Amino acid sequence: MSPANFCDWLSKTSFSIWLREAPYPFPVLLIIHLLTIAFFGGMVLLGDLRLLGRAMQDIPVSQVLGQFRPWKWTAFGILVVTGVLLSISDPVEYCGNIMFWISLLLLLLVGVNALAFRLGVYRSIAEWDQAEIAPPRARMAGRISLGLWILVVLAGRATAFF
Amino acid sequence: MIVLTLLQAVSGAIPKNPIARWEWVFPVVETLHIFGFTMLVGAVTILDLRLLGATLRRIPIPQLAKDLSPWIWAGIVVQFITGPYLFSGDPHEYIQIAAFRNKMLFLLLALIYHFTVIRKAVAAPADASAPLGWRRPAAFVSLGLWFCVLLSGMWIGNL
Repeated sequence: MSPANFCDWLSKTSFSIWLREAPYPFPVLLIIHLLTIAFFGGMVLLGDLRLLGRAMQDIPVSQVLGQFRPWKWTAFGILVVTGVLLSISDPVEYCGNIMFWISLLLLLLVGVNALAFRLGVYRSIAEWDQAEIAPPRARMAGRISLGLWILVVLAGRATAFF
Repeated sequence: MIVLTLLQAVSGAIPKNPIARWEWVFPVVETLHIFGFTMLVGAVTILDLRLLGATLRRIPIPQLAKDLSPWIWAGIVVQFITGPYLFSGDPHEYIQIAAFRNKMLFLLLALIYHFTVIRKAVAAPADASAPLGWRRPAAFVSLGLWFCVLLSGMWIGNL
């Protein structure tokens, strides 16, 4: 089954039709999706700014990142669930929307960057935990994360216009 | 309602800002508005969660408040530039939308609450392990108020 066929089939399932046509599912899902970004996007922003030495410099990096982690994962879970359901509501539309695919690709890059950070420079966190300014590789990871998340939001917004 | 009267006076006094209605200007400013509330509400949320004892428990509350303060202010500045700019596109239409009026009311309440009750809540204790007491319910109210601001804000454009 090609992706286009799959989207076509998915859009004809009764679940997809319900998500699309019932009055409440779509707005409620969208509200939860956006509220989650509003409440927890700040943790991403400030976590990255901590790595860059721009925010909360007197709090150890491991505290900021470690304490925000469970909240960020929870928020990420909510975003994935609501995001998938929103996509199922109109698969044909999203399947052909370039901005939708760009935002997914950017999310993948966010994951790659985070993984590289955790498996790389973060392993020597004990050496620079208290430092006001993190080592260059950690700062680069923060900068990339910040840039990618900004692009994810832009691409997500643009999805509505394409 | 003082807020409503004030809004009506403002919307009556200023003409539509044609530039804010240009096809690409609105989404661009709106996107800046989204980054602004992520900064503002995101930083406030971290502070509220700390008051609830739900994050950064080892960091003294006044220290965290001092660290987050510039980012909360940065968010406020961005919102107070982008918000009125979006509003200027058609002031008269906005004040007729119930969601917009609700948002302005909740925003006023949330800001007053933040700079009175929350400001008092984060002034102490210097000891990170001291019991949180009344700070917990106070933080809940703050989160609730910002929730109302965001929700009514999203309703303005009918999503």
